[in-house]
Amino acid sequence: MNKETFLSELKRSLGRMPEGEKKDVLYDYEEHFRMGTAEGKTEEQVAASLGNPRLIGKSYAIDSLLEDHKEGGQVTAGSVVRAVFASISLTFFNLIFILGPFLGLVGVMIGLWATAISLPIAGVGAVLGPVAALIIPQWVSLGGISVFFWIFGGIGVAALGVLAVIGMYFLSRLFLKATAAYVMLNARIVTRRR
Amino acid sequence: MNIQFKKGVLELCVLVVLCRKDYYGYELVQAISKNIDIAEGTVYPLLRRLTKEGYFKTYIQESATGPARKYYQITEKGKEYQKELLEDWTRFISGVNNLIGKEEVA
Repeated sequence: MNKETFLSELKRSLGRMPEGEKKDVLYDYEEHFRMGTAEGKTEEQVAASLGNPRLIGKSYAIDSLLEDHKEGGQVTAGSVVRAVFASISLTFFNLIFILGPFLGLVGVMIGLWATAISLPIAGVGAVLGPVAALIIPQWVSLGGISVFFWIFGGIGVAALGVLAVIGMYFLSRLFLKATAAYVMLNARIVTRRR
Repeated sequence: MNIQFKKGVLELCVLVVLCRKDYYGYELVQAISKNIDIAEGTVYPLLRRLTKEGYFKTYIQESATGPARKYYQITEKGKEYQKELLEDWTRFISGVNNLIGKEEVA
């Protein structure tokens, strides 16, 4: 790989970093190539000892993302997912220790959301049940249970459901933040940081 | 060796080396890669992060032989951090050595 290929691959893998910062990053490698070749090494030799430009680029991308996180920047579902996938491509270790738990927890979150959303729907259904039984008695049966039970029970279930949805909203945000923190821990697993 | 482990150790190495004098990027990378087997390109992301965290400062200096060089200089905050990491490392290593020693006896 020559200098040009190395730099363009590195630039590509820096992803969404602002242009100015990209230039800054690339400058270090241009200088490195300049000095290496001045010492009599070929561009290919310098590139080989630098390592894989795509992996190098990923570690900048992760750093800049974690920085946003630390500065209290916007943690969005998209940015967390991107961080997860950026970490994955770094090592196989991360494939097992991030992707597995992450997908498992995503599954749990989807399940909890489905439950939370189904509650208000069930509640509204229960309230509408007696009305439906009046209009189309041949299709709807109250099963011998009092109309009041259907209506008040339905209101109760619907209210519970609204609370559950609100709770899930906060739980989801917590989950995203925790994931971002976990990725950070994983990226710095050895050095203990406060 | 485990990549994550190496990364943590690399951070300590960079801090220790820069405690001695100011280095420009290429020189620093050579000083480290002469002793440890690493992909040289991994040092720059580390330098950038530690600079952003306020452990290093950078300045550009003209050189007699070629184009200007970007130098890295450790800050007071960096020196303190280096001391902490070094203590952690020393404790860790002596613990590991202790365990290895015991293993051989057992």
